Amino acid sequence: MGVIELDGLEVRLGGKPVLKGLTGELRGNAIGLLGPNGAGKSTLINTLLGFHTPSAGAARVFGLDSRRERVQIRERIGYMPENDSFIGNMSGVRFVRYMAELAGLPPAVALERAHEALFFVGLGEVRYRKISTYSLGMKQLIKLAQALAHGPRLLILDEPTNGLDPMARQRMIHTLSEVRKSGSIRLLISSHLLRDIDEICDEVLMLKQGRIAAISNIEEERRSHRNFIEIETVGETATFCDALRARGCECASFRGGRLKLVMPDSIDVRELYVAAGEHGVEIRRIHRRRDSLEDIFLRAMDMDPARGELVSI
Amino acid sequence: MTTNDLILFEDVSKFYGEVLGVNRVSLSLPPGVTTLVGPNGSGKSTLMNLMTGLVQPSSGRISVLGMTPGDPNAFFREVGYCTQFDSFPRGLTGWEFVFDSLLLHGMSGMDAHRLASEALARLGLTDAAYRKIAGYSKGMRQKVRLAQAVAHHPRVLVLDEPLNGLDPMARAESLALFEELSRQGMHLVISSHILDEVDRISDRVVLITGGYLVAQGDIHAVRREVRDKPMQVLIRCDRPELLASRMFTLNHCVEARLHADGGGVFLRTTDIDEFYRLLNGIATEGLVNIEAVAPADDDTQAIYQYLIGSEGGAS
Amino acid sequence: MSVFKLEYRAYEGRVTPRWWRVGVLVRYGLAEAWSSRVTVGLFTLAMLPVLVDLVVIYLANNSVARMMVTPGKTFPLTIDAKFFLRVLSVQCWLGLVLNAWVAPRLVSFDLADNALPILLSHPVSRFGYVLGKLLSLFAILSLVTWVPCLLLFAYQAYISPQAWLSANVQVGFGLVAGSLLWIALVSMIGLALSSWVKWRMVATGVVFAAVFVPAGVGGVITGILRTRWGFLLNIPVMMTELWQRLLGSPTVMKSDIDLPTGAIAAVLAAGVAVCVAMLNARIRAREVVRG
Repeated sequence: MGVIELDGLEVRLGGKPVLKGLTGELRGNAIGLLGPNGAGKSTLINTLLGFHTPSAGAARVFGLDSRRERVQIRERIGYMPENDSFIGNMSGVRFVRYMAELAGLPPAVALERAHEALFFVGLGEVRYRKISTYSLGMKQLIKLAQALAHGPRLLILDEPTNGLDPMARQRMIHTLSEVRKSGSIRLLISSHLLRDIDEICDEVLMLKQGRIAAISNIEEERRSHRNFIEIETVGETATFCDALRARGCECASFRGGRLKLVMPDSIDVRELYVAAGEHGVEIRRIHRRRDSLEDIFLRAMDMDPARGELVSI
Repeated sequence: MTTNDLILFEDVSKFYGEVLGVNRVSLSLPPGVTTLVGPNGSGKSTLMNLMTGLVQPSSGRISVLGMTPGDPNAFFREVGYCTQFDSFPRGLTGWEFVFDSLLLHGMSGMDAHRLASEALARLGLTDAAYRKIAGYSKGMRQKVRLAQAVAHHPRVLVLDEPLNGLDPMARAESLALFEELSRQGMHLVISSHILDEVDRISDRVVLITGGYLVAQGDIHAVRREVRDKPMQVLIRCDRPELLASRMFTLNHCVEARLHADGGGVFLRTTDIDEFYRLLNGIATEGLVNIEAVAPADDDTQAIYQYLIGSEGGAS
Repeated sequence: MSVFKLEYRAYEGRVTPRWWRVGVLVRYGLAEAWSSRVTVGLFTLAMLPVLVDLVVIYLANNSVARMMVTPGKTFPLTIDAKFFLRVLSVQCWLGLVLNAWVAPRLVSFDLADNALPILLSHPVSRFGYVLGKLLSLFAILSLVTWVPCLLLFAYQAYISPQAWLSANVQVGFGLVAGSLLWIALVSMIGLALSSWVKWRMVATGVVFAAVFVPAGVGGVITGILRTRWGFLLNIPVMMTELWQRLLGSPTVMKSDIDLPTGAIAAVLAAGVAVCVAMLNARIRAREVVRG
């Protein structure tokens, strides 16, 4: 039984079809949800939460149907929405406690777990102040804390690093990785930042115009495709490239001493260094390019991943 | 480079009553892409407001391409500003929003019409232009704000977190647009939290925290100047400990740290050029099987961590 | 064993039953309502007439005390259905004031910062959410309407001769029924309007307006068209009629306003239905913007 099962799921909003027949099963520990704006990511999340009813087909979370067994699903889920969502008049602790009690925890336990969750996400003394006084980063953290406090089995996060400065973003990613490592909770993360998804998730669902463009397992993708090498050099590369081509490599050179190589298996990196030394070239950087998430994504969106500026180095 | 080609800040301070905006900031920005990096509340928005003439400095002088906000007609024609705030006048369509703001620049109806269509087409909003903004997705609202900022062909473009809410393809397209604009000689000042994108397109970086400028310039030059943290290089190989000991023998490392997964080593060195020469030599000998070599901290993320760290910022 | 690391752990313990969640909403709603000093002030104000009535009942049943208070003069002071009609009316109108203050507090804090997506993602349905708020209001309004009225009734029954109670049992039931009807009506109006109006203070004013403005319109209709049906928009008049009939009290208003009970019930039910529709439109996790 997968975490999420989609069975010909169709959802209409305002009469227009938004999700058009999604079918698939997701089993990963941390699932990424990707797609252009308007592809239906938010609608899918709302359907899983039971806010929209499918016009055809079904969506299941842990085997529970999203239309008929809404309450059971909601008991097992924690949700962190993208936009601001809080009760400004309450203190942080009170809000998290309130949500934990609504999720089914007895009052005394709710208070304990609220403080645990706040400590875990890194909100200190600030938890006793009213949420309306919080900064953006703190508001994101309080949303995460309320989603975690009751110990759900699935955590649904919509743009969790939205608006966070670089340090806060790193801390958020680190916290989410810790949550994933604890093993008892699955994650579903929707984000536009491929780097974040790449770091945390092991399976990715990509939507395009209301249909599934791809489901891919990042781990498996990473283990293949190891033939591409990118190097940065200092020195005159023309003769070096010729020498490499003579040995059977494909070699393309770019501005700034960058070279992209496809090496046959018979050649190893040491020979690269030897050849470089012979031709007066110093190798400064070697990077083995595996299919990064960006390539997978662009291919799924029918775009050409070979366009230089879109590829991450 | 004459002052007519630069955005100049001379010892500028801005206080809001007692609250500090920025303190004694001096900048000199030539054409190209400059990225402002810093925690929330560090003064980036204040700097942008000062640059676009929306606030006046408490002390110091500002000159944008030789102009000052004292002459608003000329000034605002040359400056375009795209804020981070997601609010619009109510009831407008995308088209009306861009068109009206062009009319506010004093253009004739025909010119405004032409430029508005151009700007919307450039950002891929032609189909959605006649729908109300209230019905746009977050990414589309971001794009319509961008369209409004570039429509009157300014020479200086100030963008506050312009990629917020855009999906990966739209991000790539916007970054390509920024690169193209900078090639045409525009000044682009962009503030962003996504540091790997910053690395991709910036010509120079300005780091700011707590209202003070911490660093300014090309990121590699800045890195070389941070001397109390020697350069760090990650080398992935099959015998990392052997490589580290060899480097120590050659008396060239100041620090070696094995990677957590045991398949690589981080080496710190005070002389990066000599380091690479030695590394090429070792690799040629075949002592270890090198898989990958990469500078570990020659990017904005690392500089941010060293200079600003976790203490910078209100959160 | 000396280093402790706090790790995230799943929850394995007891889970409260589903109906308890509504109770959580009620508890937090009450806490929110009572945290305001204005609420406490309004509540105290609403208790003052009760004290006065208590004294009046005592005096009515105790001629000795009466003679001490007003020596020489004796005037009739009968405690009957008409008396309790007045008591009920006063308490209910004070209850309206309290409702106009409390209902916005219950709803607008949740709506102001878009907390509904998070709230509704918990195992409590929209119906459960509204029910929880209604029960909070019910608790507060009960404390100022049928609870004190019933206590006064019980006191009167206690210190008056036996015959009084057997003749006036209907009054007791009428007090409870009349209060419940009133609570249902004004709490629905309060919640529905609070969910549609953004600012709390404005919501308070709108709640009053919703009760009194149609009365003005109805008065105009009655005047122009010379028909008594205009009074169907007049909530004060309608409620007084209903209370009269429930308590079995003689009519206190002009005799040409004789509205059939069915018509009154229909209008009030329609009003509540409108409120339900308003709540249904606003208490949603997601808004769909068209065009």
